[in-house]
Amino acid sequence: MNNNNSTWEFGTRQVVYGAIGAALYGAFSYATNILFPLPAAGNISFRPAVAVLIFFGVAYGPIVGLLAGFIGNTIGDGISGWGFYWHWSLGNGLMGMIPGLIMMQITDFKARNDIMKAVGWGTLGIAVGMLFASLTEMFVGGIDLKTALVGYFTPAFIGNLVVTVILLPILMIAFAGVAARRGR
Amino acid sequence: MLATWKYRPRNTFIQSLDPRTRLIFMLCVIFALTIPEIWDYRIVFPLFIISLTLFLMARIEWKDIRRPLLFIFILVFFIVGLNGFVFGRGGPSSVLDPTSPVLFTLPIKIPGTDWGWSVPVTISKAWFSISQIVRMLSMAILAIPIPYTMDPNIYGTAFKRMGASDRVSFTMDLAFRFLPTFTRDLATTVDAQRARGYEMDKLKGGIAAKIRKLAPLVIPVTMQSTVTGEEVIDAMDLRAFGTAPRTWLKDLHYAPRDYVILAFGAAIFIACCVLKWGYGIGGFFVPDFFTKLLLG
Repeated sequence: MNNNNSTWEFGTRQVVYGAIGAALYGAFSYATNILFPLPAAGNISFRPAVAVLIFFGVAYGPIVGLLAGFIGNTIGDGISGWGFYWHWSLGNGLMGMIPGLIMMQITDFKARNDIMKAVGWGTLGIAVGMLFASLTEMFVGGIDLKTALVGYFTPAFIGNLVVTVILLPILMIAFAGVAARRGR
Repeated sequence: MLATWKYRPRNTFIQSLDPRTRLIFMLCVIFALTIPEIWDYRIVFPLFIISLTLFLMARIEWKDIRRPLLFIFILVFFIVGLNGFVFGRGGPSSVLDPTSPVLFTLPIKIPGTDWGWSVPVTISKAWFSISQIVRMLSMAILAIPIPYTMDPNIYGTAFKRMGASDRVSFTMDLAFRFLPTFTRDLATTVDAQRARGYEMDKLKGGIAAKIRKLAPLVIPVTMQSTVTGEEVIDAMDLRAFGTAPRTWLKDLHYAPRDYVILAFGAAIFIACCVLKWGYGIGGFFVPDFFTKLLLG
């Protein structure tokens, strides 16, 4: 499948897929936060929603990733009843936006090289997004750098990375089939 | 599975406010405490009282709020409060004042070895821990009531009226409308997979295997949503979405009470900045009454 749109285009397609990504991210976050939480190690939690967010970034670009992450995290926290934490929503937005920068170079969603690229950029997105949110917590929550890195960043990074490495390739291969059938 | 917003209309002062007012006031308090780095209990405690008053005025039922409150309290008391109490981390350097009287010394050892170190818990750390907890709660309890008291149908309009573009606001609005559809799709998929023998409650294997076994739920819902997206795009393109500024069905108007709350929020922010940067008031210190209370 070829992406013919420019990386930073913000039209109807980005509005719709940004909204869909956000709603899916919120629904899956709610499902694993509240309904059937996955087993966790220490304070590391595993959220399959993260793989969906990164997939939307990779498939539809950075604007979609940013909107899906920001709005999706707001929705997920909202329906879980946890409130609104702008810095974590923005961190999740960055986590979706950065993998979107590789969108133009992904030409075949089931090719090994393209999947590796997507996972690599997804890892970068997780690192940047969670680092942003954790470091911002220093100003918002008044925690220190060590707590931000050990207590917040590391568990979030590891949990999100494991989920992405496992589920993102499966999502990409499935998407290649769907895109081929639809012809766009 | 039913995933819905916790929102319910209530006849309260909080819900009579414009949603923009509430978001802006919350940001004013967060920025007032964080930008000038306020730790002084004479400022932090009154702000906590204001936040708590607004929280109680929202009149959210205990059965609705207990779970998120428990989550926030665990986070604040154990991760932030305990960390401040034992190590004094997270605040200005004056928290680690070496001349502060020691309350007791906490021996920390690596299990199974004699290696370890002794951590002095001082009055300064104890007071910092209390200040830190109150400071964080002042911000958190302003955020918690939002999903319970703000109509999800108004978020798009609120962000539009706060200066966001039509596209961003419409994305937000559309996301809230898609949410029930996708949660219903997820529920249908769960039921369909269970009918095929998929046992979600008995996923076997390590963490990686369990995550991989979630694919039969995640993939169908995600792929179906991409197909739905193409249909929505076609419908919106046919209606020439994005060619001209949009009108919004719901309209928002500030009432006099909104101006009062907005002015109050701005006054809090400005006062904190002026006190800290103009008069040097607002930094961390241990009040005498606390020292006397602990040392007798």
